[in-house]
Amino acid sequence: MDFTYVFMALIIGLAVIAVLMLYRVLHGPTVFDRLNGLAVIGTDAILLLVLLGVLSGRVDMFVDVAIAYSILGFISMVIFAKYLEGKGDADV
Amino acid sequence: MKYLALLFLLGGFFFTFVAALGVIRFPDFYTRMHASGKGDTLGVALSIIGLIFYLAIEDGFTFTSVKLLFIVVFIFLANPIGTHAICRAAYRCGLKPWTRGGE
Amino acid sequence: MNTTSAGKTKTKRYSYFKHFSTLFLILFLFWTTLSGKLDVKHLTIGAVTSLVVVWVTLSLLRLPSGENKDEYYLAFDIPIRRLLAYVPWLIWEVVKANVHVALIVLNPKMPIEPKVFAFKKKMDSPIAHVFLANSITLTPGTITVDLQDNVYIVHALDEDAEKALTPDEGEGIMPEKVARLFQENEVEGRGD
Repeated sequence: MDFTYVFMALIIGLAVIAVLMLYRVLHGPTVFDRLNGLAVIGTDAILLLVLLGVLSGRVDMFVDVAIAYSILGFISMVIFAKYLEGKGDADV
Repeated sequence: MKYLALLFLLGGFFFTFVAALGVIRFPDFYTRMHASGKGDTLGVALSIIGLIFYLAIEDGFTFTSVKLLFIVVFIFLANPIGTHAICRAAYRCGLKPWTRGGE
Repeated sequence: MNTTSAGKTKTKRYSYFKHFSTLFLILFLFWTTLSGKLDVKHLTIGAVTSLVVVWVTLSLLRLPSGENKDEYYLAFDIPIRRLLAYVPWLIWEVVKANVHVALIVLNPKMPIEPKVFAFKKKMDSPIAHVFLANSITLTPGTITVDLQDNVYIVHALDEDAEKALTPDEGEGIMPEKVARLFQENEVEGRGD
């Protein structure tokens, strides 16, 4: 069994998920929905990075990128949430 | 080992896809957070565990596996916190939850 | 009187030193795992970096206790042996939660009855609160929306999810398990 095709299929599937989430990011209705879509894209991008690393045979390098990306994504989500909490307006 | 890796990868992808579908289909913000907060956490974590199994076929358990395991633990800690932060921001801004009875 | 105050400052200093060394060990272990090299140069750079990071961040990571403002908890102060018993149960609950959400999403009629409710769980350690809030978010049908002064505001997908967390009498399985994980029940019973 060749895992290369499995990984390619998973990468395409994750791209499809990212496009579905872009609908949520663009369409709204509230700013929090957009933020939620971005959070889902960010979490899936971690998996996408590691899969690309396995596919190109350089996992040891891509894993470090994935760790940095996961930490940055988490911190930016929390900062966005804190910023919006201060605005006090639900219908942005 | 091979089939275990395949099972984990496909199971993880299934849960991630269901989470995305839920974010599209659910009627309001809070219910969408249910889908993304739970489905994404388990989906990505399962897929990465599948990758650890796949890498262990050739190389065994290396530093890379430890790093991947660290990503799994971090996702399990950080994803619910992110969900909670966005939810709390929405709640304190006065976003009303959807109910079946209507407004 | 004199001796007790002296003893108190002594334990305070001791706890500061303990937290300092614990955080340093965690960061140094983390550095070693990430760098993956075990020669003198990398270990020295790691030790110096960890010391600087501990010096900068320790005041952020020491969380004051809810009852007694003079006592502090370290953010990484987790009872590892009891955690090993808790985590498999939590993972099983997470799998159940995902199957639950998947069944709802794939059902064309979408059988949900969302509601928001509040419940109170008194715990001293802030880390225990983090664990309980995370566990609530990860388990079937509930997410934590807000947490202030020991009061949790929870959004539930249906009636069953609410009853699982706060039954009509007594308290739910999960708050009790988390309290036992951090031994908070015994702290209340001892009364000092």
